[in-house]
Amino acid sequence: MAAPTNFRPPLALPGFEHVRRAWHDAHEAYAARLLPGEYYVTKCDEAVYTTLGSCISACIRDRVSGIGGMNHFMLPASASADRDSWRATSLSAATRYGNFAMEHLINDILKNGGLKQNLEVKLFGGGRIMANMTDVGMRNITFVHDYLQTEGLKVVSEDIGDIYPRLVVYYPVSGKVRVKRLRSLHTNTIAAQEVQYLESIKEKPVSGDVELF
Amino acid sequence: MNNTNIAELVKGVGDLVTLPDVFIRINQLVEDPDSTIDDITGAVSRDPSFTVRLLRVANSPFYGFSSTIETVSRAITLIGTSQIRNLALSTSVLRTFSGLPNELVSMDNFWRHSLYCALAARILATQARKSDPEAVFTAGLLHDIGELVIFNRLPEQAKEALLLVLDSGDELPVYQAERQTMGFDHAQVGGELARQWHLPPLLQDCIACHHDIQQAQYCPRETAIVHIANILALMAEVDTFDPADVPPVDPLAWEITGLEAEDVVESTIREAQEEFVETEKLFLGN
Repeated sequence: MAAPTNFRPPLALPGFEHVRRAWHDAHEAYAARLLPGEYYVTKCDEAVYTTLGSCISACIRDRVSGIGGMNHFMLPASASADRDSWRATSLSAATRYGNFAMEHLINDILKNGGLKQNLEVKLFGGGRIMANMTDVGMRNITFVHDYLQTEGLKVVSEDIGDIYPRLVVYYPVSGKVRVKRLRSLHTNTIAAQEVQYLESIKEKPVSGDVELF
Repeated sequence: MNNTNIAELVKGVGDLVTLPDVFIRINQLVEDPDSTIDDITGAVSRDPSFTVRLLRVANSPFYGFSSTIETVSRAITLIGTSQIRNLALSTSVLRTFSGLPNELVSMDNFWRHSLYCALAARILATQARKSDPEAVFTAGLLHDIGELVIFNRLPEQAKEALLLVLDSGDELPVYQAERQTMGFDHAQVGGELARQWHLPPLLQDCIACHHDIQQAQYCPRETAIVHIANILALMAEVDTFDPADVPPVDPLAWEITGLEAEDVVESTIREAQEEFVETEKLFLGN
């Protein structure tokens, strides 16, 4: 896929230079490819995309200025594998990662000129892609719904749960989003990326210094 | 990797996967002009497990015969000798290919797509009239067997190919990603396996050319049907009617089959989804 020769990728905002971007004929735009644990914020006319299994992507933008972005996260499995006890025992430990992902995205939008009262949120993912495993997707959905309610942020649309892996392509400037269900041939590859991400956050505990806004 | 190497890759599979004896015996009898229905009945009856599966399929809604079929010879008369050969293969795919386990796709997910393709191909063949619905059913069930070979024998390159597809935002088709990481694709590998196994030419063509229908040597019409069925199977699996969600159908396939997208796409997907529920156990059960 060759970019038009007179085009260059739009300048990345400080802190996002490392995110992989390429020209996509299908989107007729430069697009940033997010992996689990990453997030990306832009003021420019470009796309952000990711593939989701049980992870969540929040797509958030200032609907007036068009500054916005996407994250891609999940909560780590709680120390006790018991499905019902996670809320009681390890809620704070597990949700720290979710808070971290949400706050980083929102703070960077505000830092670059977005206003909290203009923010609109779209939510994707949380699929139960492995039929015989506990529903970790639902846990991620519950977390993000609780989080947004606490922050008083409104979800304008969502495509969550269900059994399919998803491709999500988001255009922060316009707020447009394209969600495509992916065939199950990709399920194991996506699940493996999510497991790899969980392993990496286990090794790197979040320090509790996320700024509040 | 060139053609010689594809052949070598597939040769290594011979120790892991073998065609069911009953298929090989029936295959020889069907090809032999001097054989009789009695010979074929005898070959079927020597395999008690296939006999059970044959009678189960013959009495299922898959055929929808009005009366109960109690004997092998009655089943063969009603279903036809060459279809029995296909059924011997279709009703044993799980066991036949269980020697090719892999980490990249679960067997459930792999065969679900194959069965959707088989059902869609059978429905399309009935509509197009000129092709044998049971033969393209088997072709649909087997069309991606090259994937199982690649996933088992070349897991690293296969994984790299799947990552390329995801990184492209699902724009790059899997078979093209495979060509990038391996120099060949699953259709070529499956085609070579079908050739080394001396599967009927229809199956060889449909397996080898379902992504490149112009290359079909013997059965372009059936290959075109499996090509369309493969795309409709992808739609059935993710439950969509939007052609933008899947790779495009080669316009040549519509031309060859005489089918019109607007007439068949939605109805075929719906019908395949309905039939899936009742055929899953017949073909993918143990």
